[in-house]
Amino acid sequence: MEDLTTISQWVFTLGGYKIALNSVTLINTWMIMGVLVIFSLLATRRTKLVPNPLQSLAELLITTFDDLVRDALELDDRRYFPLICGMFMFLFLCNVWGIIPTFEEPTKDLNTPLGLGILGFVISHYSGIKFKGLKGYLRVYFEPIPFMFPLNIVSELSRVVSISFRLYGNIMGGAIIIIVVSNLVYSLVLPPFLNVFFGLFVGTIQAFVFTMLTLVYISTQIK
Amino acid sequence: MALEVQILVKGAAYLGAGVAIGLGAIGAGVGEGYTAGFANRAISMKPEKAGDVLKNMLIGQALAESAAIFALVIAMLLVLMEFQANAITAVALAAAGICMGFGALGPGIGAGFPAGRACEGISRQPATSSSLSNTMLVGSAVCQTSAIYSMVVALMLMFFDYSTRAFNPNAAALFAAGLSTGLAAIGSGIGEGLTAGGAMQTIARQPTSVGRATASMLIGQAVAETPAIFGLLISMILLFRVYPGAESVITAAALLGAGLSMGLGGIGPGIGSGAAGEYALNWLGRNEEIGGLLTRTMLVGQAVSQSTSIYAMVIALVLIFVV
Repeated sequence: MEDLTTISQWVFTLGGYKIALNSVTLINTWMIMGVLVIFSLLATRRTKLVPNPLQSLAELLITTFDDLVRDALELDDRRYFPLICGMFMFLFLCNVWGIIPTFEEPTKDLNTPLGLGILGFVISHYSGIKFKGLKGYLRVYFEPIPFMFPLNIVSELSRVVSISFRLYGNIMGGAIIIIVVSNLVYSLVLPPFLNVFFGLFVGTIQAFVFTMLTLVYISTQIK
Repeated sequence: MALEVQILVKGAAYLGAGVAIGLGAIGAGVGEGYTAGFANRAISMKPEKAGDVLKNMLIGQALAESAAIFALVIAMLLVLMEFQANAITAVALAAAGICMGFGALGPGIGAGFPAGRACEGISRQPATSSSLSNTMLVGSAVCQTSAIYSMVVALMLMFFDYSTRAFNPNAAALFAAGLSTGLAAIGSGIGEGLTAGGAMQTIARQPTSVGRATASMLIGQAVAETPAIFGLLISMILLFRVYPGAESVITAAALLGAGLSMGLGGIGPGIGSGAAGEYALNWLGRNEEIGGLLTRTMLVGQAVSQSTSIYAMVIALVLIFVV
């Protein structure tokens, strides 16, 4: 139980500032990015009319998310598609990463979901300003009455909290439950089932939910 | 003195165990009965589909029961394990039981809605039987997330070592941590169930809408879950912030107030957002062309209904950090 709260860090000083990097999270994130790059290269190399398994997986992902993005944003171009599809692939791999022994899910570290949440927040607000102009963007905050301005700001900010803590709470919660149950049953029978439930099942759902909410936040800003 | 503290810790653990499974059994009982009721109706409408309906009912009830099983695990741990003998641990154990008990209440009731509606849908539209079962599995599993948050907080309360902290404000902080997540999970659990139930009705009415209904259901459920996440956030802050020992009880009162504020404030918005999701999803099947508009309206409505839980969170944060 105690090892969940200890975070392995690389600490060094740079120009008088103390900088701490979460080593385990960083290493796992880079490994996941490597896997994604290799997958994308293999899937798109030598594309054929009759696809090989990797190519059909990539095609399935792309068509599904292309439909979802088109549905939600109703734009002619595909400018948000790479963000949304890439985010889902990354988060899916992050969440199921812990099934492989000795690897740790980067999403178990609050910094990963929070970083992605802030990313989505900034992108959605930037899109809002770009599509509606600064005036149209700001007007929303004074609706329905100008008095509501501070509350609207708080409710916008709480979206970042809710989206990132949802992912973190689910992945971290799964990890805690797996550790406790494994200790209780001396790692017999149950833990593999729990790993499948929390890793594959909950992980996939939460990766999808995070991606869809980012998409929805963008769509509410540009409309 | 040492013996008395030991008795206190044991007593608190037993009390917590009783509250955990006692409250936890309420939700699952209601949810499972609701499912069985709908299954009976479905079978009488289409007796030749009795086998499918029965199978679906049993799967749905098993899922609705998982919240009560979480509560059972916590209760068994509280009864059987040996804990450190000091006063703050006693408070933490009682809080763990209360957190899990309240936390299992909502998800148990909530998971009954999709299961019941799926049984009804199978008799209405037998061809969709497998997609109804699959979507029900996803919807009911998402309902359990708020119970999982409560279980996580309960486990943290039971297994972390709080003995070095001063009793006066810190015991109140731990108790408030249990209340915050436990109470806030009630509303979210019911709300998520309502939303999933709406999705089942839409799939039974309009089998082609499975993909869209599932996506909208997950978004709706995610938003209905937000109060429970705020509750979890407040609990985490309360669990990890160590207060210096104090003479007066004013900090302790403020911390208890913070837990109650977030916990009680989360109940209504959770159910309300769920109702918004239920109706949006229910009508999605009747008017599939405007699915995007319905989902957007649902989100706006949910965001407004959610604002009261955000006020509760703001007050809780003020009570924790300012007072």
